[in-house]
Amino acid sequence: MKLLAALLVLVGLCAAVTAPALEAQQPSQPQQQDEFVPIDELPPQDQLPAAPLLVAAYSFVVLALFAYVLSVARRLGGVQRELERFEAELKRSGRT
Amino acid sequence: MPKWFTPAAAICGLMFAVAPVLIANAPYESTMGLVQKIFYVHLPSAWMFLLAAIICGVASVRFLFRGDPRQDRLAWAAAELVVLFGVVTLVTGPLWARKAWGVWWQWDVRLTASLMGWMVAVAYLLLRRYGGPGSDKLAAGLALFGMANVPFVYISVNYWRTIHPTTNVVPTLPASFGLPLWFSAVTFLLLFVLLLRVRVRLEEQRARLDALYLSMDA
Amino acid sequence: MFARVVWLILRKDFTVEVRSLEIAYTTLFFAISCVLVFAFALVQEGRAPEGGAAGILWIAIAFAGTLALGRTFERERQSETLRALLLAPAARPAVYVGKLLGIVALLTAAEIVLVPLVALLFQAPLLGRPFWLAVILLTGTVGFAAVGTLFAAMLVRARSRDVLLPVLLYPITVPVIIAGVRATAALLQPEVDAGIIRFWLALLVCFDVVFVTLALWTFEPLMTD
Repeated sequence: MKLLAALLVLVGLCAAVTAPALEAQQPSQPQQQDEFVPIDELPPQDQLPAAPLLVAAYSFVVLALFAYVLSVARRLGGVQRELERFEAELKRSGRT
Repeated sequence: MPKWFTPAAAICGLMFAVAPVLIANAPYESTMGLVQKIFYVHLPSAWMFLLAAIICGVASVRFLFRGDPRQDRLAWAAAELVVLFGVVTLVTGPLWARKAWGVWWQWDVRLTASLMGWMVAVAYLLLRRYGGPGSDKLAAGLALFGMANVPFVYISVNYWRTIHPTTNVVPTLPASFGLPLWFSAVTFLLLFVLLLRVRVRLEEQRARLDALYLSMDA
Repeated sequence: MFARVVWLILRKDFTVEVRSLEIAYTTLFFAISCVLVFAFALVQEGRAPEGGAAGILWIAIAFAGTLALGRTFERERQSETLRALLLAPAARPAVYVGKLLGIVALLTAAEIVLVPLVALLFQAPLLGRPFWLAVILLTGTVGFAAVGTLFAAMLVRARSRDVLLPVLLYPITVPVIIAGVRATAALLQPEVDAGIIRFWLALLVCFDVVFVTLALWTFEPLMTD
C-alpha cells in the first residue's frame, strides 16, 4: 500500500516535470532552414528551452534510483520478516 | 551486511550532495549550452549499464558451467541493475537529444543496440519471475547471448557513421569538464556497488528461507 | 558419427511431419494471413507503402518461425521424445544441429510461398535477383533459427513457455532481422549497390557464426537437469 502511494507520487512528479518540457516543443516547430544557422542567431521562438529538459533528466535519475532502493528495501523487509517468523516458530516447537 | 556498507553508503550520500555543486560550476559547452549538463548523469549511468551487463554475462557463464549458486545470485542482481541504469540512460539521452539533435530518438547503431540490450535484461527478469523451476539456468543462457551485445554497443560509434558522439570525446575532455564527470562517475560506481550488494543480500536471504522450508519438510 | 546423428534426427522429424503435415500447413497459413493483415492495414488506395516489402517479409518470417519453433518442441514435449533424444548415445551438439536444420527446412518452405506473395501484394521486385535473395534469406533464417532452436529447446520444461519464447527470442534476434531487412531492401532498389549488400551479408554471416557457436557451447549445460 505504501509502495503504491510512493509510486503514484513518483508518476505524478515525473508527469509534472516532463509536461512543461513536452509542451514547449509543440508550438515552436522551426521552418525548413536552408542553411546552417548557429543557435545564438536563431530567433528566440525557434529555440527550445533547455531548463525543463535538464530538470526532467535529473529528476528522473533521482526518482528512478529512489524507486529502486524502495523496491529492494521492501522485498528485503518482507523476506526478513518471514525469516524471523520462521525462526520464532522453530524455537517455539523446540527446533524439530 | 558487511562492515564497509554503512560508511560507504554515507560517503555515497555525501558525494551525491556535492555533485550538483560541481556540475553547476562546470563551464557551459559552447554549442549545446545548459542542456549539455545532462552529460554528467547520462554518461556515468551508461557506463554502469554496460558494467552491469558484463557482470551479468560473466556471472551467468560461471553459473552455467560450474553451478555455483552465488554466481546465479550475482547475475540476477546485475540484471536488475542493467534494467535500472538502462532506463536512466535511455531516458536522459533522448531528453538531451531533443535539444542537441532536434529529435527524441534516432535508429542508429548505438541507440538500437542499447535498447536491444536493455530489452534482453527485461526478458531475463521476466524469465526469472515467471519461468518456474529451472529458470535460473535458462536465464543464464539468455544472459550469455545478451552479453555478446555489449562490446558491440561500445565500439559501434567508432565504426558506423552516427549522430552519437564517439568514444574519443571523454579522453580528450578538458579538466574543467573532466572533474565533474569523473566525480559523478565515481559516485555512480559507488552507488552501483552498494545496490549490487543489497540486491545480492536479498537473494541470499531468500535462499536461506528456501533452505529452512526444505529442511522442515525433510 | 556427428553427421549421421544429424541426418537421423532430420529424417525422424521429416517422417513424423509428413504423416500429418500439421506444423507445415499451420505455419504456412499463419505466415500468409500475417502478410495479408499487413496488406489490409498498410495498402492505401491500391498502393503499398514505399519500401515496406522487405520489412513485412522478415516480420512474417519471424512470426511464423516463432510459431513453428513452439509447435515443434511442443510435439517433442508431449511425446517425451526430447528426453529420449537426450538419453540416446548421441553427441548433444549433433541433436541441436539436427533440430536446427529441420527448422531451417520448414522456414525455407514457408519462405518459398511468402516471397512471391509479398512481391505480388506489395509490388516489390523481389524475384528480380533470386540468387542473392536466396542467400540473404538463408543466412538470416539460419541466424534466427539458431537462437530459436536453443531457446525453444531450453524452454520446453519451463512455465509460461508459449509467451516466454517470443519475449526471449526477439530482442536477441533483432540484429539478424535488421540486417536481413536492410539487405533485402538494398536488393529491391532499382540501382543495386553491391557494396551495401555485401556488408549486410557479411554481418549476417558473422551473426550466424557467433550464434551457432554460442548455441553449440551452451546446449549441453542448458539441457541437463
